[in-house]
Amino acid sequence: MKGKYLLMKRKYIPAVLIIAFCLLVSLAGNVRAKVYIDVDSPTFQLFPIAVCDFVAVDSEMGQAPGSSLAEEISRYLMMTGYFNSLNKKSFLDEQKEGEPSLANITFSDWSVIGADYLLKGNLLIKNGKAVAECWFFDVVHAELLFSKKYNVPDKEQKNLAKSIASDILFALTGDQGDFNTRIAFVAKKGTKADIYIVNYDGLELKVLTKHQSIIVSPRWSPDGRFLAFTSFKDGNPEVYIKDMKNGGERKAASFEGLNLCGYWSPDGQKILLTLSKDGNEEIYILEVETLKLKRLTSSYSIDVSPAWSPDGKKIVFVSNRGGSPQIYLMEADGGNIKRITFEGNYNTTPSWSPRGGRIAYEGLINGNFQIFTIDEEGNNLLQLTFGEADNESPSWSPSGRQIVYSSRTNLKSKICIMNANGLNVRVLNENNGNLTMPMWSPRLK
Amino acid sequence: MKRNFTWVGIIIALVFALSMFGCAEKKALVQEGASQDQQIAADKAAKDKAAREEADRLARERAAREAADRLAREKAAKEQTAKVEAAGAGEDAVKDIYFDFDKSNIRPDAREVLKANADYFLKNSSASIVVEGHCDERGTAEYNMALGQRRAQEAKKYLVNLGVKDSKMKTISYGKERPVDNGHDEKAWAKNRRAHFAVTIK
Repeated sequence: MKGKYLLMKRKYIPAVLIIAFCLLVSLAGNVRAKVYIDVDSPTFQLFPIAVCDFVAVDSEMGQAPGSSLAEEISRYLMMTGYFNSLNKKSFLDEQKEGEPSLANITFSDWSVIGADYLLKGNLLIKNGKAVAECWFFDVVHAELLFSKKYNVPDKEQKNLAKSIASDILFALTGDQGDFNTRIAFVAKKGTKADIYIVNYDGLELKVLTKHQSIIVSPRWSPDGRFLAFTSFKDGNPEVYIKDMKNGGERKAASFEGLNLCGYWSPDGQKILLTLSKDGNEEIYILEVETLKLKRLTSSYSIDVSPAWSPDGKKIVFVSNRGGSPQIYLMEADGGNIKRITFEGNYNTTPSWSPRGGRIAYEGLINGNFQIFTIDEEGNNLLQLTFGEADNESPSWSPSGRQIVYSSRTNLKSKICIMNANGLNVRVLNENNGNLTMPMWSPRLK
Repeated sequence: MKRNFTWVGIIIALVFALSMFGCAEKKALVQEGASQDQQIAADKAAKDKAAREEADRLARERAAREAADRLAREKAAKEQTAKVEAAGAGEDAVKDIYFDFDKSNIRPDAREVLKANADYFLKNSSASIVVEGHCDERGTAEYNMALGQRRAQEAKKYLVNLGVKDSKMKTISYGKERPVDNGHDEKAWAKNRRAHFAVTIK
């Protein structure tokens, strides 16, 4: 028996060797593809990119659509804060029809104007469809990073720009970015508020709720299908879940006293809540389907604003058990409570980075609220915002590379986006009312 | 010189003649439509009269209805006042209490107010009370929701200890969403960090 097995084994040796060799090669290939530029490093420089006008392949069409597509792509790339899209006027190269190849591109013409990356493409709009083909080159190494054909209905040309920008970002950073996301926030006029939704690019602002009441704490479900929030619509603060698909709304928690909405669990099955029904503000887990409740904390202090870690194993929350509101961590079953913030005497509204590791929160410093991040161990504290405004309610983008927050002075109120290092601030929405509590959606379809 | 005057004269005469002609034409048009216009005007006058009469009637009815409503309202208000007066000194007897920043403990100055409020609630056993917890604009909306709840609960607990029935009282937190003073200084903030007692007498 043993001999036969050995014999068989010997017979298969060449095959095993070949398979092993192939595996090694493919692994090596994978490893090579994953050497991305670390955009979070302090020495990171913006990617200088030249986005050429797309060549209109249909002669009737003229240049305009190809040029606007290039502009849209540039605009989306700039939003990430990782790109410097070079001015078209500096381009030396002539637009040529047909397929750009390594052979027919003069890379020195691009490196001399400072471009490290180059995007070229063709665009055909015919029979209500837009077909774009593009080629993305690394100018420094004179190599093609990817080429891809995109096919969308004419009406969705905006999505074309988003998809191309997303693929470029992925090729360089290994992350597809946050282009297909939206941000929910609360807009208050006088004593009445509602939740509004706006696209990542600042377009398509619309009102989601029609409660005209106090409304706080919007929280997306991890699949983007639902939005939970707390509203005083019926007089008391109660938790609602809104179905984003059919607009339906149901109450998920209406216990006596405070019903405050926390974050959804990463699997979308549970929501964290702050309830006062047992005589004191405590943190609970609510099962969304069965509405079964489980209490997590029991201390005489205020426990509020719970958020899950991306792996669902831990929960970050605010407690004043030490005498002032500070950020604490605990296991998902409520055990092993540990304080992580010690600087300042007012630290609240924690949000866990989807990439893990860091927690963003707002803290009072020199009379204003500012956004900070800190790691799970309570080390490496970073202040991201500065100045006279109150910067509050940080919420991470799905890529974990950007943070949305509210910024208000007595006169103006803004919803802003910045990179996780505090740079590249972009105003998403601004008015003289009161815009608060922005919450970043997951990636949407 | 003389010839120039002649020319001017001719031009003036021409202009005058033209303008006369235009007027004559207009007059002719007006006369043509006159009989028709008179008929329309007569019809309109009749219609206007009818409409005016209808409007007058409606206005009279509305005035009568409003007067009746007003009487009813005044009566209701008088009854309510009488009720409250009979019960005690009215809702004025119930006062707000105030808190320190980020605190929910009952301050010494609030104890006397709560004592007076408790006396009023004990005298008016039919009163039901909603204890509202409020915060100033500083700090996070969410944390303030919890803090407001805590203030309401602390106030309620104090009243229960003074003998007010637990079942008569409910708590609600408005966080920092319902300030009484919209100012942005310590004077305004101190007024906004409060527990308010909304009283309903049945």
